[in-house]
Amino acid sequence: MRRLNAPVLVIGCLLGAVVALGPILWALSTSLKPTSRIFAVPPELIPSEPVPDHYYRLIAEGVHWAFLNSGGYAMAAVALSLIFGVIAGYGLSRYPVPGRQLILVLFVGAMAVPGFAVLLPTQIMFVELGLYNSWAALPILYAGHVLPFAVWVTRAHFNAIPRELEQAAQIDGYSRAEAVWKVVLPGARPALLAAATFGFLHSWNDYVTATTMIDSPDKRTLTVALIFFQGFHGRDWGALMAGVIVATIPPVVMFLLFRKYLIGGFSDGSVKG
Amino acid sequence: MARSRGESVRPDQNPASSAQSVRFVAVGKSYGAVRAVSGIDIAIAPGQFVTLLGPSGCGKSTTLNMIAGLEMPTEGRIFIGDRDVTTMKPADRDIAMVFQSYALYPHLTLFENIAFPLRARRRRTPEAEVDRKVREAARMLGLDKLLDRYPRAISGGQRQRVALGRAMVRTPTVYLLDEPLSNLDQQLRVQMRSELKDLHQRLGATMMYVTHDQGEAMTLSDMIVVMSAGRIEQMGTPRDLYESPANLFVARFLGEPGMNILDGTVAGGRVEGPGFAAPLTAATGRDRRRVMVGIRPEDLVEDPTRAAMLRGRVRTVEYLGGRCLLRFDVGDRLVVAFLPPGADLKPGDDVGLSPKHAGRLCFFDAETGLALQA
Repeated sequence: MRRLNAPVLVIGCLLGAVVALGPILWALSTSLKPTSRIFAVPPELIPSEPVPDHYYRLIAEGVHWAFLNSGGYAMAAVALSLIFGVIAGYGLSRYPVPGRQLILVLFVGAMAVPGFAVLLPTQIMFVELGLYNSWAALPILYAGHVLPFAVWVTRAHFNAIPRELEQAAQIDGYSRAEAVWKVVLPGARPALLAAATFGFLHSWNDYVTATTMIDSPDKRTLTVALIFFQGFHGRDWGALMAGVIVATIPPVVMFLLFRKYLIGGFSDGSVKG
Repeated sequence: MARSRGESVRPDQNPASSAQSVRFVAVGKSYGAVRAVSGIDIAIAPGQFVTLLGPSGCGKSTTLNMIAGLEMPTEGRIFIGDRDVTTMKPADRDIAMVFQSYALYPHLTLFENIAFPLRARRRRTPEAEVDRKVREAARMLGLDKLLDRYPRAISGGQRQRVALGRAMVRTPTVYLLDEPLSNLDQQLRVQMRSELKDLHQRLGATMMYVTHDQGEAMTLSDMIVVMSAGRIEQMGTPRDLYESPANLFVARFLGEPGMNILDGTVAGGRVEGPGFAAPLTAATGRDRRRVMVGIRPEDLVEDPTRAAMLRGRVRTVEYLGGRCLLRFDVGDRLVVAFLPPGADLKPGDDVGLSPKHAGRLCFFDAETGLALQA
């Protein structure tokens, strides 16, 4: 039975890999071809004359600033969501908060609401608050999107850390805050990395929120900036694909670095909560 | 409730020790309407080893946690030395605690675990001194070759030593030990018990120990505080408690197996009941008063004469090597006795037993359960 299944499994995996990696490889190939060779027949997967011109074009158009904006927004959102997520997760784990179950249900419910459903009211609210088209808008919103997950996963991890460790640290001469910093947070590192990775990927990949909340070219994110290579008179496929490749690098690197915690964090949140 | 207090300072107490006295004054703790402990009055002299002993849920760990500052008493005061520490934060009490689970920090090496209290901001210990003290403690505990390891990479006994090392590295005023041996196997537990006793003698420290294992309590303690249902049943030296239990709870709880208890009635200077007649040595007042007679299993000897205090039928005889455990029915009560290994008895035999000395008998009021004094 196993011998019969093995080839089927390999073929299935190969097909899956082609479906998942095919577009990325094709984008990489296109980004390195001269414009004249992009639609050559027969098509070339490996460019015969690879050129970096499209990447230079991105820099000439200032896309590198959008790259930095995306990175900055994502990191600020991660920092905000971790700070508030850790405080809320610790509070819900360690203190007798009235209505704790209800609060947790609300957090999970918040994760289930699609972001675009509240986009318009959020935009109106941000205009009223003077946050529309500001540097603070996207970090605040992304942090809000990630916060429920951060609270959920950190709370689950805090629950799993024996209270005695904190008590031991307090008896050893540390304040409660110091005990949390020195003992609880290092113990919850997998949860924090999972929340950080999830938050970064969510923020980095967002398009809808960024295009709704930001108007100025200098504050655009990478996903928004790349859309401008789809002009009215046709698309600049070479630059667009170069942008796609650049946009793919940080999430892939993050996933490769922290995949253990990301997968572990998801499973912890699902079974320990 | 009879209480005796052993407050003498140990003769072998280390003069360099920072050991201090501990005093509980009418301490109680309630959780809402539930009273976890009440009426706790204990005075512990510097350098004493005191054990809180009792069954699960009797309030001994709550009492220990109140000294540690992990729980706040709802009534009464607690003093360490001259300081009233009742509401003081744990970090300010200058105590050390060894938890049942050891509570070692899993992300730190053994060196870092032991050094952890010294590196607290309030102590500002120079790193050279931290290194010296950690290595000294590790050498005392036989951990010096393991200091680079993490807690997950060492055995249960070694973890227990690390927890002790973390406690002793900073010479606290009081050591609190919450069932530190309960996670060890029997052999290791006996070994660690001896090591703990040695350590106490070397450090001359005041130690408070919580356990439900009376063997640990009897072998380690200068004073035992027996607790039940949140109250102190009796406190005193192990010998006092064993030989003169203040009430039926202590009589039954101490000893393996506990004291045999028989129901009887006072009649003409004796206590008589089904299958026994014991000479009365305690002031029990009027005739026909109901009295419970207690005798330890090892205080009974076989008595083939008609004057035997107990007469019954053998149920089982268990050979234990150095002695036999005899279980026999006296009236409707099961009585146990330790007899010499050569005792020639078998199930179904009629047997007579008497105490080695009449002074070995204890008498309790059947209504209050309190000991009747001679």
